[in-house]
Amino acid sequence: MLNLEEMKEVWAAHDEKLDESIRLNRELLRSVTLKKAHSAMQRITLTLSMNTVIWFAIVASLGSFISHHIGVLWLSMSAIILDVYAVTMLAATIRQIVDLRRIDYSRPIAEIQKQLESLRVLRIRITQLALLGGTVVWAPFVIVAAHAFLGLDIGNAPWLWINVAFGLCLILLALWLSKAFGERMGRFPFIQRVMNDFAGRNLIDAADFLSKLSEFEAERQR
Amino acid sequence: MNMLLRQQEFQTVLDQHKKILYKVCNSYCRNRDDREDLAQEIVVQLWRSFGSFDERARFSTWMYRIALNVAISFYRRESTRSRYVLSDDGQLLNAIDETHQVSDQMQALYQFIAAQDPLDKALVLLYLDGNSYLEIADVLGISETNVATKISRVKQRMRQELSGSTQA
Repeated sequence: MLNLEEMKEVWAAHDEKLDESIRLNRELLRSVTLKKAHSAMQRITLTLSMNTVIWFAIVASLGSFISHHIGVLWLSMSAIILDVYAVTMLAATIRQIVDLRRIDYSRPIAEIQKQLESLRVLRIRITQLALLGGTVVWAPFVIVAAHAFLGLDIGNAPWLWINVAFGLCLILLALWLSKAFGERMGRFPFIQRVMNDFAGRNLIDAADFLSKLSEFEAERQR
Repeated sequence: MNMLLRQQEFQTVLDQHKKILYKVCNSYCRNRDDREDLAQEIVVQLWRSFGSFDERARFSTWMYRIALNVAISFYRRESTRSRYVLSDDGQLLNAIDETHQVSDQMQALYQFIAAQDPLDKALVLLYLDGNSYLEIADVLGISETNVATKISRVKQRMRQELSGSTQA
């Protein structure tokens, strides 16, 4: 094995040959500059922007629903619970867009990697909130949707509240499944990511990297 | 400056610094498809940031920061990433996977880099590329003293590995 100084010499010799041996594909480069390609960050921003529009529409519709049914306790309470959930999701989505737009890749590595990892932590927290909240808010959602689209009042239906209790038990089952099988879902990357987010595995990984970054920045002669 | 001129300027300056792209991609990805994806992701990001490039700064420092930032996040990204828009029209860097042209020593060197964690990879790459401690500190966002400490630690680690392999 070479030492680092010898490696540097080998590297320099290799570097001299690279000019001759590599060619940039001009056609592909032209496509990139003609905006035919999107960076990963642009794609995420686009998805988040669409989510913002959807959440905003939901918040606005629920606001209108609440004002029209303020006298009916079951309906207004259900809509308010849904609205709180929707407003939280809307705020979290906007926060992600703002944080993403602040990222300037030409800034130093330690600074940008910290920002990116903090953003990842935020995304994981939002996924957890969406999944946990989802098991609770689906009941008010059914009450509001049944009234708004079918004109039915099912707020007092006992099966609905039994299902809410079942939903809460489902959280425990989902947690167990995520912890037990999350890492084995390699063939389904999206499901794997959601399960790892839910189980907190990705959060631990992000926290580890953030601590490595702090160490990397602050390390001094020991 | 009109779009066409900007594109030409970008292509020229990227062509002059294509080695950085090649070395970063080879250091962070061992797999050919990943290298191609990463190369395209870096170029997209470079092009997006090109408008805000400060002419007083060194292009190579600016390019290193963007390329390494993209590479580290690419390396760390969960496997949920989708394929990029450009994929069927050949490769961005035509020699990017021609490992048969690379000597055994270089393969060993890339293996050594591959064994480092993503942050140390950046440090070693910048050092091997002949950048001064000040330049490395500037790209990484840490102090010059810190760079010197880390480099000496890498050297020490290599010595230990070397003596370990000799004893074995």
